[in-house]
Amino acid sequence: MSMHTLLRYEWGVMTPEFIIIGTALILSLVDLLMPDDKDRRPLAWIAFVGVAIAFVATIGLIPAETTSILHDTFRLDAFGKAFKLLLLAGGALSLLLAFDYRPKEGLKHRGEFSYLMLCALLGAMIVTSSGDLITLFVGLELLSISSYILVGLRKTSVQANEAALKYVINGGISTAMTLFGMSYIFGLTGTTNIKEIAVEAQKLTDGEYQYILALAFLLLFVGLAFKISTVPFHMWTPDVYQGAPTPVTAFLSVVSKTAGFAIVLRLLITIFAAAPARGKDTSSMLLSMQDYIAFLAGATMIVGNIVALKQRSMKRLLAYSSIAHAGYVLVGFAAMSWVMIDSIWFYLLAYLLMNFGAFAILQRMSDEADSDDISRFAGLYQRSPLLAVAMGVFLLSLAGIPGTAGFIAKWNIFLGALMTEPGHYVLAAVMIATTVISYVYYFGIFVQIFFRPAAETSSLRLPIGLTLIVVVCALGTLLFGVVPGLAYHFLGQFEHFGDFLQ
Amino acid sequence: MLNVYVNNYVIVFVFLCIGVLLPVGALAMGRFLRPHVPDEAKQTTYESGNNPFHDSRVPFQVHYYMFALLFVIFDVETVFLYPWAVAYDKLGLFAFIEMFIFVLMLVLGLVYAWKKKVLRWM
Repeated sequence: MSMHTLLRYEWGVMTPEFIIIGTALILSLVDLLMPDDKDRRPLAWIAFVGVAIAFVATIGLIPAETTSILHDTFRLDAFGKAFKLLLLAGGALSLLLAFDYRPKEGLKHRGEFSYLMLCALLGAMIVTSSGDLITLFVGLELLSISSYILVGLRKTSVQANEAALKYVINGGISTAMTLFGMSYIFGLTGTTNIKEIAVEAQKLTDGEYQYILALAFLLLFVGLAFKISTVPFHMWTPDVYQGAPTPVTAFLSVVSKTAGFAIVLRLLITIFAAAPARGKDTSSMLLSMQDYIAFLAGATMIVGNIVALKQRSMKRLLAYSSIAHAGYVLVGFAAMSWVMIDSIWFYLLAYLLMNFGAFAILQRMSDEADSDDISRFAGLYQRSPLLAVAMGVFLLSLAGIPGTAGFIAKWNIFLGALMTEPGHYVLAAVMIATTVISYVYYFGIFVQIFFRPAAETSSLRLPIGLTLIVVVCALGTLLFGVVPGLAYHFLGQFEHFGDFLQ
Repeated sequence: MLNVYVNNYVIVFVFLCIGVLLPVGALAMGRFLRPHVPDEAKQTTYESGNNPFHDSRVPFQVHYYMFALLFVIFDVETVFLYPWAVAYDKLGLFAFIEMFIFVLMLVLGLVYAWKKKVLRWM
């Protein structure tokens, strides 16, 4: 390839990625050259600024046309833009959490904390806008491997070591499954380009080929279920969330999950939507797989919400709640209505706001005593009424009470499940029932905050980074709860993400 | 078509059987054919002619593992650099820039290992 072709590529569409990788490289050099006794917390601020610039750059790219560079391996389309904004917002918030993370035993590798998080974020961003199975896999692994290290960063903590080991082993198994599914797809279509795969898959009219393609679908879906922590790959979630440092837990539960849903949507819809499933008849593989997805969505909601009832540790509780939320989002995917991607995007936005807010307050409460037991929240209202009200807002949103973003998000997913023909009444009923179950544990925290006497009476001061997160998240949760039109107006310009295949 | 696909695995299964049966069969045959006259010298551990001493399970430095890991990284780098150097004229500038980035990343990794005192013995 000559200089000429090299310069002809529109490298501008990769600006956010370049900014992130540049910041990560600079930070790693700065961390290495800094004297050992210097405090490395300001590095998180630099990383935060880098992510903020990348966020602005992504907003600047919104008017750009759908472009693909490097032989269609990297494509910037509406889907990529919308999900990248979520990922960058999540990354920025987790860096703020990292800045104010003060564990009892101290954190030796604070420098690595910042730039590994940037690397993971970069992987997630590559994943959302890749047009090729190989780029997609490289992005996925960059995200996974960085998060394995992040989870085990508290080297002296037994829980962190257990979490890291479980995460690596489970991640390895799920990666193997995903790759096995991809190998079937490559074997059937002879290409790794997602667009070409879609074209080739349409030509598979032989029933036995279709059987293998369906197998590939299930392998891919089960493998990717690890990233979005849904049944059958949800078991790692509570242990890893509990052992990992709180900023990493928040990162895994929001950014990693959003990236996971981005892959699931892009890969499965593009490849399988037009592939025939029943011989030569006109049919869709994706639609014929709907029942399996619906079953897994239902199982995820039930498992997540029921097991959460018994949890005493807040991190484990939020882990099960995150499994349950992944189940709600999967309902949106299983229903396959025409508003599917819009409602999933909105759900992930609402989830980002309410979850980061809850994790910020949880981090403040658990750092102080090195325990994340639910009783840490006892009497929060007496110690700091404002913080208690903010936590109340996040909990109401997580439970899906009207007036919060969580309600609108859930409502849209719910409507999506009913608006298709035939409607998914069972799935919608399971969703309602499990939501009602979830009230029990969310309101259990409420009781602790507002009605239990405080164990300590010292007033709570929130560090600057956490204050910023709590304020932004609380305002966002209420804003999108009252005027969800804002977000939908923003999504309107993407015209339901129809440019997957162009 | 599916049966063609499945039939390919029959070969794998046959090889698996051969792989297990061959050593088991050979050792079993040897057991029956060889004379059995043990003495003390014959029963000592075989150490390439040296007299065995000490316990065979000795702990060794974990640093050795770090060295081995670094070695593997740069060994793989060479494996990538070699075909690139051979086909340099055909690949042109793009591959040059890509290789430059690749080597830069590895150098950064080496600097990291150096700064974290991985290269220092003890």
